[in-house]
Order: sequence, then C-alpha cells, then structure tokens
Amino acid sequence: MKKTLSYPKKKRSFTFVTFSVLSVFCLLAASWGYIFIAENASFFGLFTEENYLFAKKFLSSLAGIGDNDPAFTNKESWIHALKLTYETLQMSVMAAGFATVTALLTVIPADRNVADGTLTLSKRWYRWILFWIIRGIYVFSRAIPELVWAMVIVFILKPGILPGALALALHNFGILGKLFAEIIEDIDMKPIRNLASSGASNAQILFYGVIPAVMPKFLTYILYRWEVIMRTSIIVGFVGAGGLGQQFKLSMSFFNYTDITLILICYLILVAIADAISEGFRRAAR
Amino acid sequence: MSESIIKMNNIAKHFERKIALSSLSFIINKGEHIALIGPSGAGKSTLLNILAGITNADSGEYLLDGKSIVNYQKRNIRSRKIGVIRQQFDLIASLPVIQNVLAGKLGEWGFFKSLISLLFPIEKETAARALNQVGLLDKMYEQTSRLSGGEQQRVALARLLVQNPEVILADEPVASLDPARAEDILSLMTELVKDKKQTLIVSLHSVEYAKKYFSRIIALRDGEIFFDLPSEHVTDSLLANLYALKGEAKDG
Amino acid sequence: MGKFLYFLTYYKKSLLTLLLILIFVWSLFSVQWNADLLHPGGGVTTKQIFQALLAPDLSPEILILALESTWITLVYAVAGMSIAIILAFFFGILASGVLSTSRFNLFAVSGFFRGILGFTRAIHELVWAWLFVAAIGLSPFAAVFALGIPYGGILGKIFADMLNDIPEEPIKALETAGASKLQTLLYGYLPLVRANIISYVMYRFECSVRSSAIMSFVGLGGLGYQIQLSLSDLQYDEVWTFLFFLIALVVLIDAWSNLLRKRMVL
Repeated sequence: MKKTLSYPKKKRSFTFVTFSVLSVFCLLAASWGYIFIAENASFFGLFTEENYLFAKKFLSSLAGIGDNDPAFTNKESWIHALKLTYETLQMSVMAAGFATVTALLTVIPADRNVADGTLTLSKRWYRWILFWIIRGIYVFSRAIPELVWAMVIVFILKPGILPGALALALHNFGILGKLFAEIIEDIDMKPIRNLASSGASNAQILFYGVIPAVMPKFLTYILYRWEVIMRTSIIVGFVGAGGLGQQFKLSMSFFNYTDITLILICYLILVAIADAISEGFRRAAR
Repeated sequence: MSESIIKMNNIAKHFERKIALSSLSFIINKGEHIALIGPSGAGKSTLLNILAGITNADSGEYLLDGKSIVNYQKRNIRSRKIGVIRQQFDLIASLPVIQNVLAGKLGEWGFFKSLISLLFPIEKETAARALNQVGLLDKMYEQTSRLSGGEQQRVALARLLVQNPEVILADEPVASLDPARAEDILSLMTELVKDKKQTLIVSLHSVEYAKKYFSRIIALRDGEIFFDLPSEHVTDSLLANLYALKGEAKDG
Repeated sequence: MGKFLYFLTYYKKSLLTLLLILIFVWSLFSVQWNADLLHPGGGVTTKQIFQALLAPDLSPEILILALESTWITLVYAVAGMSIAIILAFFFGILASGVLSTSRFNLFAVSGFFRGILGFTRAIHELVWAWLFVAAIGLSPFAAVFALGIPYGGILGKIFADMLNDIPEEPIKALETAGASKLQTLLYGYLPLVRANIISYVMYRFECSVRSSAIMSFVGLGGLGYQIQLSLSDLQYDEVWTFLFFLIALVVLIDAWSNLLRKRMVL
C-alpha cells in the first residue's frame, strides 16, 4: 500500500536576490522597448540592399580591393605605422607607470584597516576623513572613461603622447587604487602584529610586513591593467592624444581605408604582444 | 538458489607498467552485501571503477547481469544497473537538496524534462519519499551547501534511492565522517538496500565496520585477492597479515 | 655562474620590479619635457575647468537633458550586455570544451572558439562601433552590437575559464547517475559557476555603462554626446553636470552588485 507523503512546500520570500532578478527583467524590457519603440530602430531595416552595398563597399575598401597601392603593401606606410605602434607602446607603459605611482602614493590612507587602526595599531581621528576623501577620488577618477579624460586634457596639453598617457593614467589610477586597497585590507594580520609588538615603527611595518606580502599581487594587477591600457590606447588617440588612434581618426576622415586596415593590423599585433609579455611577467613573478 | 549479478573472470589492469590488479576472479550474487578492504594502494578504487564501468580492464571478462560490460556503454542504461556513491563532494552544493536528489532521475529523463525540472521540480513525490527514508524531509528546499557533512552524505544516498540501480558501489563513503555519523550512514545504507534486494559493494578503511555491517568481505592486497570469506570466518591473524608491512607477512 | 643563478632566483621578484621600473623610465624619454607641452593659455583653461567642477550647471534644462542622456546610455549598456551574455553563453560553453566527447573534438572546437573570443575582445568596443557605423550607418544597433561583441568575448572567455576550473567529482557523480553531457551542464556546470559568473557580469555591466557613454563619439547619442557638445562650446560647468550623472550611475550599479554579492548564496 502506498500512502502519500506530505512534503514541505517551498517557501516563497521576497529577498534582495528576487528583487534583483525582477529589476533585471524590467531593465531588459525597458531598454529593448526603448530601442524599438522610442528610437524606432528596426532590426530588419538594417538588411536593406542599400546597407548591403554600403557594407560591401566599406569592407572591400578595407581589404584594398580596387586600390592600386594599398597601405599594407607599401613599405613607407609600414614604417610610419610601426613608428606609431612604438609610440603607442611607450604611451601605454607611461600610463601604467603614472597610474601605479599615484595609486601607491595614495593607497595607504585608503585602507579600511589603516583607517580603523588595526594595521598600525594606533588610532587617529583624521584617518577616516582621509579614507573617505581618497576613496571618493578613486571612484571619481575610475567612473570617468579614459576617452572623456583625454577630451578634457587635450584642452590643456598639446596633442601627443603625454595627454594620452595622462588620460589613461587618470582612469586607471582609480581602478588600481581600489584594487591595491582591497589587497592590503585582505592581508594576513599575524606577521604584522608580531612586528608591531616587537616594537617596529610604522615605516618598518610597511617595509618588512606589508610590502613583501602585497607586492606579488600588486604586480599581477598592474600587468593586467597594462593589457587593458594597451587595448584602450587606440581610443584616446581618437581625440588627438597621439599614437595609432590619432592616425586611425585621420585616415577615417580622409577615407584612407587601407591605411585603417594597416593600423588595425598593427593594433592587433600590439595587443597580442602585450598579452604575451604580461603573461610572461606574471609567470616569472610566481 | 541465488542468481549471480556480477561475474569477474581474470580481470587485470596496469597503470604504466605498475600492476594495479592482476587476474581477479569472483562472483557476486544478487542481494549480497560486500565490504572491500585492504591497505592503501591495494587496488580497491581501481576495482570499484572497473565495476562501475568508469575504467576498462586491460584483460579479462566482466559480466554484469549476464552481459559483458561493453553492452553498457550508454550512461543512461548503465545507471539503471549500477549506482556509485563517494564522499560528500559529489553533490552540487549550489543547488537545493531536491535538485540533487532528483539528479538520480537524469538517466531516465530527456533534456527538456530535466530543464523544466530545474525550474519547477517534477516528481516531487519521489524525491520526498527518498528524503523521508534518509530522514531529511524537512531540508527538501535547503541549499545543499548549508548542510553538514553527514547530511550531505544522506542526500547522496537519497539520490541513489531515486536512481534505484540494481548494484550500489560505494568508495569510502564514510572516510570523512566522525565515527558516530559513519555508523549512522552505514546502518542506514545497509538497511535501505535490504528492502529492495539491491547488491551493495562498499570499500572501507575500517575492518570493524566491515565485520559489523557486511556479510561477506573481499580483501585485496597488491592487486590480488588476499581472501574472500563470509564475515564470521575472518580471523584476526588473517587481518594482521593483510595489513602487515611488506616482508613482515607471516604464513597465513 | 651558480652564484649568479642563485642570485637571480633569490631576488627574482625584486629584479622583475626593477625591470618594470626601468621600462617605465624608458617610456618617459618619449616626451620632451618642457613648457611647449602646454597649449598657450592651458593654465587658464585648467583653472576654468577646476572652477567649473565646484560649480556645475544645475539649471533644470541641463538636468533634464542629463537625465535623458543617462537613460539612453543605460539603455545601450543593458541591450549590449544582453547580446554579450547570449554570445558568451554559447561561445563560452563551446570554448570550454565541457561538451566535447573526444579528445580531438576538445582541441579543435575549443581552440576554434577560444580564438574567436580572443579576436572579438582584442578590438576595443569603440573601434567596433566605428566599423559598425561605417558599415550600417547611425543606428542604435551599431552601438548595441559594438558593445555586445567585445563584451561577449570577455565574458565568454571568463565563463569558459570558470567552467574549466570546476572540480570534476560532482560531474563524475552526475555521469554515473546517468546524466548526458547536456544534463551535466544543467545540473552540474551551470549551478556551480552561477554565483561567480553573476558577480563578474555585474562588474562588466558597470564597465559597459562607461563604454556606452563613449559610444557617442562615433555619433551615437547618450551622455558622451552631450559631454562632447558642451566641451566644444567650452561650457565646462555643463560637462561636469553630465559627468556627475555618469559617476552616479556607475556608483549605483557598483552598490547594487556589492549588495547582490553579499546576499547570494555560494
């Protein structure tokens, strides 16, 4: 004889996770609705014969079809492009360097465990104020995209590598600062306490306790960010901040499509090299 | 007269020249409860993997219910014959208990049925009955990761009840549990399979548990069968020889 | 020689750090450091920009405009992310090779799809945008695809890596319970990566809002477009208003994802 078993019913409760799922669906519906209705964009309208011919012409110009002297077979264009590639590489390194230096200089007061005194074992009333100010600056600098920073900076500095590097650095300063602070907040406190209880000064704690513990992770993050900076370096060039991006913009406005292809090739090579170098450094640092 | 479910004939297995199992032969009848013991590296896990059809033997013949194991290549067919339970990390910790239990049905279900069940569990009744048998009915909708080690092992057992295979293989199922919970799981396990006349083969570290809960003990040493006896015939001197270090072994 | 090698391994990390510092110093030589770097009047402009930071334009028209552009920026980000997630889901699974049955399949298929993912994310979203605008014209879809393709590449790669990092025991257990490859995906792989992938998607969503804001530089609407207009009119106070809206949006999403991470089980 089989008797039916009374099993518990699933509890339905409205949690933050449920709320998030609902909000995601609302956002999705609203966004796609807006694109289709308010902006009156038609997806199938993209597939007109006109667009097809247009895209075909664009792609074949990129491939250099019908061009007697496409840039990517021209020696001088290659030399010029490689020079720009070299500049872009320098720009990205400089940007990563600036971002690292500024983040390192500000990161100590931006740690929760420094602000509440657990790391230094001493409390100061002004530490929380300093903490919030620097964290605020981090949020501010990373919320603004590199390109916007570049647009502002080219009002102050003449076009070239420096404004590009500064723009990239300003955005990544906030990101690295936040990441560094999180690493320091996560460090193992035991060796630090030992140092402090054996009478080490704050500077000694920093050099013998904190830096050796966090340096490998810092290096990893710096290299990761450098990869991203490398990818973004082309973008800041669009507004005149030097390197491959600037040439890209120029060629676009002169409709030198084969030039664009050449630049994109250089850009892809650069990104691939950057990935390989950074991977190599990370392996070596392990 | 009981009929045999497993027939092993001269089964051998090598791993890179090292002999893992050398020509094992035995017959297991339906409904038998067998403990597999022996020192580490004796080949217990390898034998269980061969029995489960996860690894193939290099030579020899393995008949499962009268047919060669090669006839059970399809996982959903094999899963009706043989079920495996290991330690508790066999479960998907981020799914609710009920989904982990119903995973025992995957061999029967098609893709769409299993997809729907992930959102709206079907065959709740089956899952509830299995959970009731292992005493975890109230934890049906809990997140599996929130359960204790012993409870997770019970969930794995409930999954096996739902899967309902003819042969149950357990590889050190209580290795990571404290003695009280280990006994709890073993008695539950032997109790549950008795009702359904299932065959149970369990590898164990503890000889004490083997003698207490199982009727037949197969001991392996260096890839060979050291003895294969009913539990009551297993003597202390036999066991001493089984676990003796190399060179120490006296004539048994 | 032996001593030298010992020196190398013992001080490996310090030497690497030193090498990186030297590379940074090398990069500094690419710029001629003199007053010629500044625009004439650059100092004055800097002062104006900072003054405007403290007094952003808060007039109702600008606020309404900012709100509208913020919405458009969000719309492109959400739509782009939804495309990215769909791409990442399918390509990520194929690139991870968890469904492959044979060794050959594993290398051929996963290698191929990893290559595609690598290519799509190597090109920056704004370059994609430019290409799309050049090919299909100024349609919102250009922005949505330009965001969706490289973000799909990034998400797909991370998703594939996460799938590959899963411990194999629970999957093996499902297989012995009779699960097919697709069923192990449903009952094993996907639930096991769920929490990690959701928090990563939230992080990328935050990035996509920033990316969506700069889509305007190829002529598509949104916050970046307004920033660009105001900059060319030298209305720095308006620029800051728009920037504060962008910051607010980013901070809001950041807070949401932090809360979600804390509440999510495992």
